[in-house]
Amino acid sequence: MAEAVAVGADRESLGGRLRDIGFWADWAAVIGLVALVIVFGLASPSFLTLGNIQAMLVSAAILIVLAVGQTFVIATSGIDLSIASIMTFGAVVLGLLYAAGWPILLACLVGVVAAGLAGVINGTLVAKGRIPDFVVTLGMFSAASGAALILSDGKPTQVVDGFLLALASGSVGPFGYFIVVAAVVVVVAHVALFHTRFGVHVLATGGNAEGARAMGIRTGRVRLAVYLISGVLAGVGAILLVSRVGAAEPAINTTYLLNAIAAVVLGGVSLQGGRGNILGPVVGALLLTALTNGLTLLGISQYYQPLAVGVVVVMAALLMRYQR
Amino acid sequence: MASARSWRARRFRRGVAGLALAAVAVAACAPPDRSAEVAAIIKGLDNPFFQAMGQGIEDGATGPVTVQAAQSTADTTGQADKLSAVAVQGFGCYIINPISGTNLVQSLSLIAKQGKPVINIDSPVNAEAARLAGATLASYVGTDNTHAGQVAGDFLAGRLPAGAKVALIGGTAGDVTSRARLDGFRAAVDGKLTVSQTVDVNEWSRSEALTRAEEIMRANPDLAGFFVANDDMGLGVSRAVQNAGKSDQVRVVSVDGVEDGLRAVKSGQLAATVAQYPYTIGEMGVEACRAAAAGHTLPATVNAPVALVTQDNAADALSAFPKPFEQYDDPYRQLLQQ
Repeated sequence: MAEAVAVGADRESLGGRLRDIGFWADWAAVIGLVALVIVFGLASPSFLTLGNIQAMLVSAAILIVLAVGQTFVIATSGIDLSIASIMTFGAVVLGLLYAAGWPILLACLVGVVAAGLAGVINGTLVAKGRIPDFVVTLGMFSAASGAALILSDGKPTQVVDGFLLALASGSVGPFGYFIVVAAVVVVVAHVALFHTRFGVHVLATGGNAEGARAMGIRTGRVRLAVYLISGVLAGVGAILLVSRVGAAEPAINTTYLLNAIAAVVLGGVSLQGGRGNILGPVVGALLLTALTNGLTLLGISQYYQPLAVGVVVVMAALLMRYQR
Repeated sequence: MASARSWRARRFRRGVAGLALAAVAVAACAPPDRSAEVAAIIKGLDNPFFQAMGQGIEDGATGPVTVQAAQSTADTTGQADKLSAVAVQGFGCYIINPISGTNLVQSLSLIAKQGKPVINIDSPVNAEAARLAGATLASYVGTDNTHAGQVAGDFLAGRLPAGAKVALIGGTAGDVTSRARLDGFRAAVDGKLTVSQTVDVNEWSRSEALTRAEEIMRANPDLAGFFVANDDMGLGVSRAVQNAGKSDQVRVVSVDGVEDGLRAVKSGQLAATVAQYPYTIGEMGVEACRAAAAGHTLPATVNAPVALVTQDNAADALSAFPKPFEQYDDPYRQLLQQ
């Protein structure tokens, strides 16, 4: 989170900073998460039990992986509207190969490669074709879900496999494998964005593409790379998705798309690009998951849940305008 | 600069930790005992079938019951999240109506560790996946769709002359429910009627069923009947029959027993519908929970009632809706009355 904070000479008192709306804007996701934890913790005694926290982390894992992929794209001032469709596509490829008798690990690998290829197509069209990100990925959103429907003939493929079931329900100590996978993705992404030359180039491309080019950064390649990352992470999400639901389904998963973008926005990443951080979107993903989980625990009708998500996202975006 | 930032972060983190601790402390004061309560996770509440099921669960319960539903019948992961969420609340019994055979299996493995009974209603959990995840199901109750198809077949075979031509209209290709209904129908009319052709309609679309029926009637002028895999499509087919002016010649039978279907039977647009009872499936699910709590061993599989509704009894069926209008076997209730 700290990387997102534009630091000023701020040694004012705590009270002074609490009156400063910029403080709230910088920490919007964390504050939102803490507020939710307090409200739900008070309202439902089950919310803060170890079991529920584990369940929430497991169910946030797919969203975290997708949000990290989305963060790289948004940091270059792009947007990947196709991320959830590509995940569906990767899942269907995985499922069909498994049904055709391939070993599960190979099927998973090819699923990730297929998703990565879809990302490369996005990146090539954006970088070489000079078509706006929004248009390219909107097209891919439709094309990838169409490809998934064609390949699968619209039918779910059951993937009942010991390895994937172990991935879904096994754990290292208190942490399920899903959480471990998400944590590895987050750490690698954080290092890549903040401790490598590639990361600098990503942020430079998003912040000022012309300036970056003048400095000798090949912005076309950077854009290609972020869409490849987004595609590959959608493929990782596909493995988690298939392992969680035990089937590869050609469903469009729009909730994942919207929540992946919402998590990035909640995390304080500017849609204009140039500013990015990894932990913010992770907190955003946790916030969105905690919101649905808490409403479920309280027995509030599922009709209210999309409304609550919408209100939270827009409020966060409003607060973000005061970011320093 | 860096030190200012980390100082701020540290102060903030300390504040967050304090608030979280306070929340935990308050939460720990009131642990409710839910071991006598029932939690139900069903497929959705966005259509009348599942609304009736949810109503049946609430009406059937003698104590508090929590009914949760997925956002839609495609929300497989959301449904799994909801089951995981209620599982940690320590309910005494869980009723599940999974969207697919496998989407709840991982969450079921959490419940398996608690040793609480799980009643599977309506759509069955994949047995192999449940075994791999170590999940055990106390009982299954749902409509036997093959039997429903047979009832429809027996009815049409009894009303039409031997060897009369009928066409079958199923739902989405490969859908298990649709296939079971069609298979049951075919088995019942084997050697009595002639099945001229079978078509599957994507997404069980009413308008597409109407179009297909028109085509089939054009190709088979001597057609005497349609068997349609659900009432909604059945109503489309009956419209096609009316449009063709063949209401006297072609009989339409479907499966489901939704309110519109029952009304259409009463008015004669449908010759009959084989009604299933989501309300009763929900109710029987709660009874199964009570029977399990009372220490009874539950039957592995229970068939929920189906009833043939014709013009003779359509008024009764409508007035009893959403409950069955006929007596039916309820093994759970028998266990409870012992």
